Amino acid sequence: MTGGFSRREVMAIGGAMAGTMAMTPMARARMMPQDMDRDVFAAVVRELRAIVGEDWVFADEASTLSYRKSGIPDLRGEHVPSGAVAPANVEQVQAILAVANRYRLPLWPISTGKNMGYGMATPASSGQMILDLKRMNRILDFDAELGTILVEPGVTYQQIHDYIEDNDLPYWIDVPTVGPIVSMMGNTLERGVGYTPYGDHFFMQCGMEVVLADGTVLKTGMGSVENGNTWQAFKWGYGPYLDGIFTQSNFGIVTKLGMWLMPRPPVYKPFMVRSQNVEDVAAITDTIRPFRMNNLIPNGVLIMGALYQMSMFNRRADLWDGDGVIPLEVIQRHARANDIGMWNTFYALYGTDEMIAAMEPILTNAFAATGADVLTEAEMGGNPYFEHNKTLMRGGMTLEEKGLVRWWGRSGGAVAFAPVAPAKGSETGGQTALATEIMNKWGFDYAPAYAVGGRELHHIIFLMFDKGDDEHSRKAEQCMEEMINRFGERGWAAYRSSVSTMDLVAQQYGDANREVNARIKQALDPNHIIAPGKQGIA
Amino acid sequence: MQAGKRRWVALALGLAVVAGGGLAVGLSASASAQATYEIEPREPAYLYARTCGYCHGHNIAPIIRGRSLPPAVIQSIVRSGMGAMPAFKPTEITDTELEALSAWISQSEADPEEHGQ
Repeated sequence: MTGGFSRREVMAIGGAMAGTMAMTPMARARMMPQDMDRDVFAAVVRELRAIVGEDWVFADEASTLSYRKSGIPDLRGEHVPSGAVAPANVEQVQAILAVANRYRLPLWPISTGKNMGYGMATPASSGQMILDLKRMNRILDFDAELGTILVEPGVTYQQIHDYIEDNDLPYWIDVPTVGPIVSMMGNTLERGVGYTPYGDHFFMQCGMEVVLADGTVLKTGMGSVENGNTWQAFKWGYGPYLDGIFTQSNFGIVTKLGMWLMPRPPVYKPFMVRSQNVEDVAAITDTIRPFRMNNLIPNGVLIMGALYQMSMFNRRADLWDGDGVIPLEVIQRHARANDIGMWNTFYALYGTDEMIAAMEPILTNAFAATGADVLTEAEMGGNPYFEHNKTLMRGGMTLEEKGLVRWWGRSGGAVAFAPVAPAKGSETGGQTALATEIMNKWGFDYAPAYAVGGRELHHIIFLMFDKGDDEHSRKAEQCMEEMINRFGERGWAAYRSSVSTMDLVAQQYGDANREVNARIKQALDPNHIIAPGKQGIA
Repeated sequence: MQAGKRRWVALALGLAVVAGGGLAVGLSASASAQATYEIEPREPAYLYARTCGYCHGHNIAPIIRGRSLPPAVIQSIVRSGMGAMPAFKPTEITDTELEALSAWISQSEADPEEHGQ
C-alpha cells in the first residue's frame, strides 16, 4: 500500500516531533519580530498574557508548532511566526493592538488558519505574531425571515451547518472546498468562491465590524445607524462603500461579518458533463457563459480536470511510476477506468420539479452539442467524483480535496495559482496550453479546475510537489514564479496568492494601485502593525 | 403548488431580479444567537466525526481507529500536522479535548464503515 503508514512509522515520527518541541524560539533569531530584541519580546509576551490569560499566548517552540504548518515551499524560513496570541473578544483585540503599537509588534490575523494552498496560518514574513481569532466563535444572529447570519471569525462552515440542522432552518450554506474546518469569515475576506448559486462569497457578504489599528471599532454599511436593524439586509449604506477595502487587506481586523444564505430549494438536481478531449474545454466554456449570464445555470460551475479529480483519491504512484510527467494517454486511461472524462463540468438546477423539467432539456441539448455526455444521478450515482461535486453544489461538508496535498507522497505539498480571465473558450484554451507547457517543463503534472462565474472564470491550478524534498520544493517555487510572470505577460493575473508570492502578484496590478493602497495603509495603520506584506502592502 | 414551494419560487424570482436580494416572507422569528466563547469540551466521537473522519477512513488519509496508536503520538501529530494533514491548534481543539480524543482513537475498535488508505 502506498497511501498509509505503519504503526512503527507513526511512533518514530511522534518521537521526532516530541524532540523538536524541546527547542526554544529565543534561540532562533529568524523567528523574532524584525528589529526587536529578546528582552523586549519577552516583555511583549508578558503584556499579552495579562490581556488574554496565560493559556492563550503561544511563544515557545512546542506551542507555536501548529501555526507554522503549511503546504507551500518555504526553503529559506521566510514564513515563520514568532508566536501567537488568541483573544476572546473585541476588547481584548483592542488591548492587543495597543501593545502592538507601543512595541511595533507585527500581528498576522487569522480566523482558523486553514488557507489551503496559500500558506495556511503562516505570515507573509517571519517574526510576525499570529493573532488567532478562533476563540471568537459565536453565531451572533440568524434571521430566519431574511436568511442572514452574523458571525465571528472563528465560526466554521461546519458550525453553521450544524446550527441550521439543529434549528431546522430552511437555508443552505455555500462552502469552499474544505468547508468543515474553514471559517466563513476567513474565506469570504479572501474572496473565495463556492459551488451553489451563492458561490461568490463576497457578493453575498453584508455588513462587517472592523477594529482599526488605533482601536476604533467601525461597523460598515448600515451597522452604525442608531437603533438600526438593516445591517445584514442592505449592503451599501451611505457614502463610500468601505467593506471592500477590508478584504484581502491589512487595513483593519474584521471581528464580525454578515452573510446572506440561500433558501433551501424543494428540489436539487446535479449534472455532470463528461468531455473526452483536452481541447474540449474551449467549447464547454463558451457553452456555459450565456447560461451563467442569464442565470439559467444559477450556480458556480466547475470544469474539473481529470488529474485534479483523481489526485483527491489517489497518489501519483498509483497512476504512474515512470520518468517525467504523467503522459496524456495514461491520464486518459485512468480517467476512463473511473468513468470520467478529461474535463468534467458540474452544474445544478434548483427549484421545483416543474422548473427543473423546463430547464433540463435546454441545457442538456446545449452541452451535448459539444460532443460531451450529459449525465445525472441515474448514470453516475455512487461514483466518488460525481458524489464529490454533488455534495459541494448543495453546500455539503467534505474535505476530499485535502487529498491532493499528498499527491507526491506522505510529506505533502501543494501551492495554488489562480489567474482570472474572461469566460471565453479562447481564454481557457490559452491558459491550459500555457500552464501545461510551464508545469511540464519543471516536471510537474498539470491538475486544473476552472470555476466559472458570470463573465469571468478562476483558473485553479494546484502545483503539487514533495515538500520533503528540498530540490523538488525549489523547482516548485521556480515553476510558480515563472507561471505568475508569464501569465502576467499575457494579462492574466491571479485573484489571490500564497503568502510567498504576494508582492510578485501585487506588482502586476500596477504602481498607482500599490501607491493608493500604501496611502490608505499609512492613514489607518501608521505603525504598520497589522499583517505587513499582506497582498504586497507593507 | 404547496405553500412551501410557492415561498421558494418567490425567493428564487426575487433572486433573479435583484441578483441575490431575496424577498422577505413570513417565516418564523429569528433563531436565537449562540451563547458562548468558552465552549464545554466536545465529546471525542463528535469531534472525530466533524474533523478527523472526513479524511481518515474516507479514502484521503490512513485509517487510525482500531490500531491502538499511542495517545501521545496522536496528540503530537494533531498539533504539528503530519505530512499532508493540517495542524490543529489549541484554539480549535483544546488540550482537554485532545487528551480525550486521542485516548478515544487509541482505544476505539475499527469501524467497518471506514475504508481506503
